[in-house]
Amino acid sequence: MTSLSETPSITTRSAVEEFLFHEAALIDRWRLEEWLDLFTLDCTYEVPATDRPDADPGLTWSLIHDGRTMLEQRVIRLKKPEAHAEFPHSQTSRIVGNVQILDETDESISVTANFIINRAKAGKFDTYVGRYDYDLVPRNSSFMIRRKRAVLAHDMLDPQGKISFII
Amino acid sequence: MTAEQFVIDDRENNLFRVNREAFTSEDVLQRERKEIFGKTWLYVGHESEIPGKNDFQTRDVGGRPVIFNRDRNGDVRVLLNTCLHRGSSVCRHSSGNAKIFTCFYHGWAYRNSGELVNVPGNEDYKSEPAAVYKGLKSPAQVDSYRGLYFVNFDPDAPDLLTFLGEARYFIDLAADQSPEGVAILEGTHKYSLKANWKLLVENSIDGYHAKSVHHTYFEMMMELGATPPMLGQDTVNGVAPAGMGTEFPNGHATLMYPANGLPLATDSVKRTLAGLRAQAEQAFGENYANAMFGLARNSVFFPSLILIDLSFGLTLRTFYPVSASETLVTGWQIIPKGVDEEFVKYRINNALTFWGPAGLATPDDVEALEQAQKGFGARGEIGWSDVSKGMGKPVPAANDELQMRSWWREWNRRITGEQLPTEGTSFVPFDKQGVDA
Repeated sequence: MTSLSETPSITTRSAVEEFLFHEAALIDRWRLEEWLDLFTLDCTYEVPATDRPDADPGLTWSLIHDGRTMLEQRVIRLKKPEAHAEFPHSQTSRIVGNVQILDETDESISVTANFIINRAKAGKFDTYVGRYDYDLVPRNSSFMIRRKRAVLAHDMLDPQGKISFII
Repeated sequence: MTAEQFVIDDRENNLFRVNREAFTSEDVLQRERKEIFGKTWLYVGHESEIPGKNDFQTRDVGGRPVIFNRDRNGDVRVLLNTCLHRGSSVCRHSSGNAKIFTCFYHGWAYRNSGELVNVPGNEDYKSEPAAVYKGLKSPAQVDSYRGLYFVNFDPDAPDLLTFLGEARYFIDLAADQSPEGVAILEGTHKYSLKANWKLLVENSIDGYHAKSVHHTYFEMMMELGATPPMLGQDTVNGVAPAGMGTEFPNGHATLMYPANGLPLATDSVKRTLAGLRAQAEQAFGENYANAMFGLARNSVFFPSLILIDLSFGLTLRTFYPVSASETLVTGWQIIPKGVDEEFVKYRINNALTFWGPAGLATPDDVEALEQAQKGFGARGEIGWSDVSKGMGKPVPAANDELQMRSWWREWNRRITGEQLPTEGTSFVPFDKQGVDA
């Protein structure tokens, strides 16, 4: 892993942060179609199993391993009132911080960040904590997401129980 | 216990009711801990999770912490994860490889076959602990079927094969899917729900809720060009599209229906499946292979081992109560051995669309169960749940509730001693049926 200080970066951290904060706001406001538009067509969205945080979510019994098709279906479903676990929608408030650019090539940049997501629904309050890993593709003075991976810092989903919203 | 009666099994009117106290009472839970989790066969793990010598997994089984491991000779053990001295865990990792388990509290150390081999300050004891206490204890009975390991804390309980009885046929249908056997994939779904554990038993073998709870999932399948469960046209091995529910002795039950739809399947995946099927046909005959690959099945093995094969994934799940209104669930994915990486990826991607705490279906189940638990707050006014659907039919469908009634009768027998007769449907294994598909 290359540390930030050794990487000659042409992309500034504040530009990345601005993008990640924008993404966070879209999810918190349930503007999921716009959120989906941030992803490339060859994207993956991953959440590894809590007991295999470093394993490939495509080859282990992970929590989420969506390609573009499934990510679209996830968004379509979540916007229907029959998505019972999220009707009415959870209220989430997420803080994205400790943003670091780990690597940068002409085509993409590798970014890591921490997240804390507070979620309230029907009198229940849960916190989800973890790390994001991103592959971002520069596009029109901003970015698109080729890969988003949310690694939970939980050893199990208790008391959270489920991930029924976008993490 | 507060309730006078937990189950009303009214054969005259074909009404079956369960007292909602069964889901809310801590007294009932205490009784379940003794009569069910203390006396029935409980699932611990699959042999593929501890493939090598000294491999271990730690688990909570029916409220007891255990180490499921292979010792230095490769023999599978289940050891109670509590130091004989003052009780602390001797292993605090969820999995790994260890020859010795040491309690960090006072440093007592045990070989991975259980023997107590080191006690710091051993010379201070007049009676040497190793001579007095021997080693870590195991459950009264440990046994396995097709690689699935179970324990029973009751030395007098009938053996595992007797307990599983005919229902073990549905374990065979999973275990035989590859000539090389099956394995648990790495990665575990561990999550809690704020609902009584028996609500998840019901839900796991409930075909009736599928259309209402999983409506959005069915829409997604159709959008991807696949036919949702129970909406197909085909009859497989005499099982109509509406499917059938089946009861077995000891509270085990299965529902099955023709398997439809393989969303996201590629040509290579279909070839792999056809290959597995051809091998199964050759080894076991057409009926058995049809049942294996042409039928979807949900089975419960009393009290809380669930095996769900929806043809696009094979999920194993077990769960144990934390309190009357909280349950901890552990879920795994089973994969036939010897398949290529593309098939493994397909199975994961497909199965994940449905199952698990972040799937597109399971969270809605959890929501329904938590809402039911909330509803039981009004049990003073509405004291009973109804489980009558399909009662009195000669062949109950997959979306009828025979499976749940069968399970509840066994629960009731163990909790109250009241023996209720079965509904009398009996299952003829597919390889013993005439070909009528």
